[in-house]
Amino acid sequence: MAFLRRYLRSGAGMAGLLIIATIALGAIAAPWLAPRDPLAIAGPALLPPFTDARLPLGTDRLGRDMLAGLIHGARASLAVGLAAMVAALAIGSVVGTVAGFAGGLVDEALMRVTDAFQVVPRFLLALAFVSTLGPSIGTVVIAIALGAWTEPARLVRAQVLSLRERDFVAAARVIGMHPAEIAFREILPNALTPALAIAALIVAAAVLIEAALSFLGLGDPNIVTWGTMIAEGRNLLRTAPALSLLPGLALVITVLGIYLVSEGIGDALERRGRTTP
Amino acid sequence: MAVLTVSRRLLLQGTAALAGLAALGLRAHAAGGGRLVVAADSEPKNLNPAIVASNGVFFVASKVIEPLAEASYTGENGLAPRLALSWEGSSDGLSVTFHLRPGVTWHDGKPFTSADVAFSALQVWKPLQNLGRTIFADLTAVDTPDPLTAVFRFSQPTPIQLIRNALPAVTAVLPRHLYEGTDIATNPANVQLVGTGPYKFAEYKPGQYYRLTRNDAYWDTGKPALEEIVFRVLPDRAGAGAALEADEIQLAAFSAVPLADLARIAKVPGIKVIPEGYEGLTYQLVVEINHRRKELADLKVRQAIAHAIDRTYVVDTIFLGYATASTGPVPKNASEFYTADVETYPFDVARANALLDEAGYARGANGVRFSLKLLPAPYFNETRQFGDYLKQALAAIGIDAQLVNNDAAAHIKAVYTDHAFDLAVAPPVFRGDPAISTTILVKSGLPAGVPFSNQGGFVSAEIDAVIAQAARTVDTGARTQLYKTFQKLVAADLPLINVAEWGFITVARDTVENVASNPRWAVSNWSDTALKG
Repeated sequence: MAFLRRYLRSGAGMAGLLIIATIALGAIAAPWLAPRDPLAIAGPALLPPFTDARLPLGTDRLGRDMLAGLIHGARASLAVGLAAMVAALAIGSVVGTVAGFAGGLVDEALMRVTDAFQVVPRFLLALAFVSTLGPSIGTVVIAIALGAWTEPARLVRAQVLSLRERDFVAAARVIGMHPAEIAFREILPNALTPALAIAALIVAAAVLIEAALSFLGLGDPNIVTWGTMIAEGRNLLRTAPALSLLPGLALVITVLGIYLVSEGIGDALERRGRTTP
Repeated sequence: MAVLTVSRRLLLQGTAALAGLAALGLRAHAAGGGRLVVAADSEPKNLNPAIVASNGVFFVASKVIEPLAEASYTGENGLAPRLALSWEGSSDGLSVTFHLRPGVTWHDGKPFTSADVAFSALQVWKPLQNLGRTIFADLTAVDTPDPLTAVFRFSQPTPIQLIRNALPAVTAVLPRHLYEGTDIATNPANVQLVGTGPYKFAEYKPGQYYRLTRNDAYWDTGKPALEEIVFRVLPDRAGAGAALEADEIQLAAFSAVPLADLARIAKVPGIKVIPEGYEGLTYQLVVEINHRRKELADLKVRQAIAHAIDRTYVVDTIFLGYATASTGPVPKNASEFYTADVETYPFDVARANALLDEAGYARGANGVRFSLKLLPAPYFNETRQFGDYLKQALAAIGIDAQLVNNDAAAHIKAVYTDHAFDLAVAPPVFRGDPAISTTILVKSGLPAGVPFSNQGGFVSAEIDAVIAQAARTVDTGARTQLYKTFQKLVAADLPLINVAEWGFITVARDTVENVASNPRWAVSNWSDTALKG
């Protein structure tokens, strides 16, 4: 609660929260806001925005409703972003905790694996993974998580290294707790905070990678995503710029919102550092 | 402002290409001076048209290496002579005699003779070429009684009509003296082409351009009109339109400018949009069907799918009017073979739903009768867009289609080798005669892994019999009649569903003259193409 109060004091955090809350509400309410299949042909092709009250943002090359596409696209973007973040945090924190707590050879081995993943550019890794396994929303999430778990792993490991020398860990040892129990029930919850601060950054990167994959035709073709919309609009950039500008704008606003939230979390954590030494 | 963004964009995209052109001394405004700069959207590594008979290769290579005859709007049987002056088939279909053009020399100065034709036919077209393998399957020998006569001998009757229709695409003649005794597939002349054509191959800079220069010793005296043709590699489709507007290129063929951009670019002064010149290269939009699926093996279900497709929408919205609705496996512009007297499937959702009910596939609680996997071929924007449309059209009749996108290699493997599809969207090409690349889409008994063939498991003894009979019918009239029967049977049985047929569009500066002067213009030799001013 104290954390939430500190967060709300951050201007950037508030702005970000407002943006993301709006987009998330739209995404959650998509089946009511735009009940038809967003891929259905809804009207004449290439209707410009603001010309038909029934199709406020116009239609694309095949006559699909742009507004429905944007709303449902938000679903895909946020879902992929959050799922990839959760997956990356889960893998990262387990690897980090085990490495930090076990130390020695296990630590060495796990950290070299982490290095191996870190030297491969994230997007390349995702691209290779999706083009091998075929595009579907599941593979896209895993592909993004594969490149994103290394930072939380390193952060958690660093925290664990300092935490495991603390008195409460020694106490836990003394009362005979199993090492795994100490690692995951005593240490991990305390080591997670800095990893949470970068969680928002992982979401933002995931949203962008998902859009880039869809742009290259490696998204799930059965759902609308902003990346696909931009890719399809690109050929008409000069005749119907709205087709790629609108989803592009949605992408920018979403990523900006997520960054502001991450800023807010960062601010809040810093204040805690100052007020409760 | 617009001009500024254009040049910035191009500069960022193609710094390497521009640097290469700068080295050639090419200024931004290169019109005139006899150099035609053309957009090339693909960059084939093997440029030998006698081995790889495909449009991407012909686009560059046809100016250097010539076939025996080229397609023509006005010539007899739709042909104009090139390296052969005339040809006649024997009445038993066992031989075809070609009388060759005298006074033709290769670009390296050696004379062109019947030995070159014999070598190309027996060593290249028949064993190595993708299309020649079928057409020349029964070719056993080529006699060369004199340097200007080549007599093709066949072990089985081979219709002269087929050979004639195949001449433009499959008979690119190679210089025997450079290929004999070498490994033909890896011969350096497959890239550094040597031919008899109006242009000589000058250089290839990977990722940048192909450059061809005038052949001063060309047999057609006074031609070609141009000094040079540069094929500038421009894979980005949005880039071709911008480059034309900036006059950095003068011509973009094969719909390098996207259909959706044509209406706008046609209004730009100095630029013309030319839809002619592709009649001999008609692409067909086809729904391939996997008959191994129980539901799709039912004719009523296939009829329902055919009725569910709104061909008007496909032609007007997906192809923006630059296409024609299909009635069967032979396109309308192949007037020698086409018949309109076949079963048709007008757009009728109620009828389609009734057919599916009759077939016993009632809608479930969620409105879905059954689910299918739909694989649109990734080669064209239009095949992908049609895939998106077909999914919706099928949803309207209670069939849930799940789209699967693959890259080109994975798509070919999934459909033609692994048969991992229920429906696929394919763009086969009609190449002037149904026996070249059309009957293969329907006939049975082909091994798995043959691309662009019937891999849907469709078997019809009746259709197979007609195809086999036509392949051995030498009489042109009787053979044509058999192919009309073939169209009727295919339209009635629906081994696949023909939706639309289309040609490409050329966009050029209006300084380029004699564009689209024959039905295979983009892949012909361009000896009469000129630049004004």
